[in-house]
Amino acid sequence: MKMSRRRSMALLSFVALALASILLFLYLKSSSDQTSTYTDSRDLIGRMKQLNAQWETEILKARITIYHNYDPLVTPLTEMTELWERFDSMESGHGRNDAAMWKTSHDAYLAAIQEKTRLVEQFKSHNAVLRNSLAFLPTAEDDIQQPLAELVDGDKLQLQNIATDTYDLLLSSLEFAQVTSDDRAADILVGLNKLGVNKTRLPEPFHEPIDILSNHIALILREQPIVNRLLDNIEAVPVAERLDDITGLLNKDQQQADAVYQRYHLYMLVFSTLLVLVLVYLAIRLMRSFTEINRVNEALQTANEELEIRVEERTQELKDTQSELLDTARQAGMAEIATNVLHNVGNVLNSVNISADLVTRKLRSSKALGLSKAMQLINEHPTDLGSFLTEDAKGKLLPGYLNQLVDAIALEQQGMTDELAQLTKSVDHIKDIVATQQSYAGANSLMEPLHISELLEDALRMNSGALTRHHVTVVKEYSEVPRVMGDKHRLLLILINLISNAKYAMSDLSNRPRQMTLGVKIVDDATLQVSVKDDGEGIPEENMTRIFAHGFTTRKEGHGFGLHSCALAAIEMNGHLTAHSDGPGKGAQFTLQIPLKTVAGDA
Amino acid sequence: MSPYRAHLLAILLLAISLTATGAPLDEPLKPLPAAPQQNPLRVELGRQLFNEPRLSVNGSLSCASCHRLETGGADNKPFSIGFNGQPVAMNTPSVFNATLNFRQFWNGRADTLETQVHEVVQSPSEMGSNWEHVVQTLATDPTYKTAFANAYPDGVTMGNVQNALASYERTLLSANSRFDQYLLGNTDILTLDEKYGYLRFKDYGCISCHQGVNIGGNMFQKFGVMGDYFQARGNLTESDLGRYLVTKDEEDRNVFKVPSLRNVAVTAPYFHDASAKTLEEAVDVMFKYQLGRVPSADDKALIILFLKTLTGEWEGKPL
Repeated sequence: MKMSRRRSMALLSFVALALASILLFLYLKSSSDQTSTYTDSRDLIGRMKQLNAQWETEILKARITIYHNYDPLVTPLTEMTELWERFDSMESGHGRNDAAMWKTSHDAYLAAIQEKTRLVEQFKSHNAVLRNSLAFLPTAEDDIQQPLAELVDGDKLQLQNIATDTYDLLLSSLEFAQVTSDDRAADILVGLNKLGVNKTRLPEPFHEPIDILSNHIALILREQPIVNRLLDNIEAVPVAERLDDITGLLNKDQQQADAVYQRYHLYMLVFSTLLVLVLVYLAIRLMRSFTEINRVNEALQTANEELEIRVEERTQELKDTQSELLDTARQAGMAEIATNVLHNVGNVLNSVNISADLVTRKLRSSKALGLSKAMQLINEHPTDLGSFLTEDAKGKLLPGYLNQLVDAIALEQQGMTDELAQLTKSVDHIKDIVATQQSYAGANSLMEPLHISELLEDALRMNSGALTRHHVTVVKEYSEVPRVMGDKHRLLLILINLISNAKYAMSDLSNRPRQMTLGVKIVDDATLQVSVKDDGEGIPEENMTRIFAHGFTTRKEGHGFGLHSCALAAIEMNGHLTAHSDGPGKGAQFTLQIPLKTVAGDA
Repeated sequence: MSPYRAHLLAILLLAISLTATGAPLDEPLKPLPAAPQQNPLRVELGRQLFNEPRLSVNGSLSCASCHRLETGGADNKPFSIGFNGQPVAMNTPSVFNATLNFRQFWNGRADTLETQVHEVVQSPSEMGSNWEHVVQTLATDPTYKTAFANAYPDGVTMGNVQNALASYERTLLSANSRFDQYLLGNTDILTLDEKYGYLRFKDYGCISCHQGVNIGGNMFQKFGVMGDYFQARGNLTESDLGRYLVTKDEEDRNVFKVPSLRNVAVTAPYFHDASAKTLEEAVDVMFKYQLGRVPSADDKALIILFLKTLTGEWEGKPL
């Protein structure tokens, strides 16, 4: 279970990772920075084209200006080189230079710009000197014409011709600068030759200015076609076209990139849709799970409530059971009490039984039977009764016999009266026990003045038969005790039980006389203490704590009830019953202690 | 209006009146620009390297050995002495304002200052070293190692040494020349003769080549447009071929970069071959072989007066 859970977690992570990677891949593919590079590149190329155009404008301007600053012919190239380097590093950063077509147009541009630079440098050099000479030409002509006009001696016509020739040459040269043609070049050459011839006709001071002029015109003749050719060549250098080629390549690449971009855009769209579907599916699943959870929760709650109800029911049942148990316990208590009562009644009934037995036996062996024999003798002699009494041997004995009989019957009567009085006492005791049992229900106790020693005597008497039968010697150690207020029946119950137990404890004793010691004394002027001591089997240590418990007994026919009820009775009298034994076979002593309540009048 | 605002307004008015009188002139010559914004750590590192003799193979030469800032950014020898005690082939150009030249070296073989450094260090007649050695030497110096680590993410490399030097050189601008002040609108700074000199400079066509912000240094030109200078001078050397050595194009024979005229009064001798010992000689050669004209003595003197206004300052002192 745990293993498969871990595996499913790993699978889930893997799937999530895969989805994220796909998304990232598509994102990167569809949002590559090529577009921004493209815009930048287009921008750079555009600026380079602009600079190129500016460069060409400056070149054209340089062609017509006299005092020209050539810096503007340098700066566009510098800036273009800078821009190209930026463009190149940007594009090579994208691996463009690997493509053959790219490299071709790249190199083509570089070749073009290099060629153009070379031509422009030449143009600058040639144009500078050409412009200088052209600008100087009128001054140079003046330098000849002015002295020529001031020349006084010489052939006026010839001088006029020389001046005209020089002027024509100047005009031809200036025109040549505007419209360069071979015809004009030929004209200029003719003019130069004429000037050379004229020079020889003029005096020495004219030679230098003429040389200077012809030198400059020769320079114009030489340089003007070069400058024109250079300009044509510069114009022909396809720098702009090469830049357009590169732009075209960029556009093509961009279109491809756009296509790829759109494709990946589509992929991304599809993928996103899929993801959304998955999300919706998951959401539905989640909602279902949620519903399920809710349902289970509700079920759980219901179950919980049911459980609570059942618990309540059970609690109620338990309560009922408990009260039933209580009832049962009460009934059991009643039963216990009944047992108690019956036990005590049984004890007393024993005495009743013995008394009844004694009376019966006495009646069976009664001397009254002799009276009926004597009456038979008398009835045999109804007539001669007198004689019979005096003469007959038997009759003579009869009066004496009757006298003896009277004595015997009187004795018998006396014995039976005593026995019957004992019987009556026992019956009274039974009555009292029953009354006591009834008093339990009312929990009242009857306090009455009594002599504790008399009570002890009563108890002994009730057990007297058994004590006699078992040959138990009773030792009485009574202190001087005043009359006390006490519950006679409870005290009697306890004493009878203790005496009975002492007797039983010594029943197996055969090697020494059976002796029971009864003690009465007052302790601390507050407690009445009555003790019953035997030297019987004793109490083992382990039983010490249990002997007062209900149902504990060491006897086969015992109920385990006597001591328990005694202890209860003692407690009901605010006293207590304790046991002491030195161990098995060493006898035992039970001591009852109750609060001492002397009778007021006696004190 | 609070006193503060009144104060501000006064300053504003003053500024307007100042600009009104001092509007920059629109001339073919342009005033010197300010030094560009650069990483000061790199500039300082470049300054140290500029004065570092260990850039040469035997520790005898630093950049500053030939490009002495106190003497116009070059030495006053016709040909500087290389690491091996032998003179180099061409006159040393000034390092001042070199950043404004469109190419470096007389024949313009270097497009950038970095390339110029690259060549000089390896040149068998100048420093005679190689970059492996230079980088190793600098990398073992703890001071340089720290300085490079602070200024560059990748520490001591060939490119960084060159860049540091170039960064420093870009700050070497001889600002505040009197002519620059004139161009910026302070027209009273030049004397009348100097102003005439400037006029002659333009009239005679010097300005055809010597123009722009660096007063030259923005084009190539054949040395000997109006006559064969080298034949007249004689004693031809390989370096006289000029740009031909770079392009092998017949067109470029005897073609050189037009040098800047800034600080020209303090950077004698002149030309790639140091053939002109004085400004006068140089101006004469220019008139004869480049302009093909004969100036009056007065005009020449005026032009030379003008050329002397092109001398700038370095660290607040005139060069």
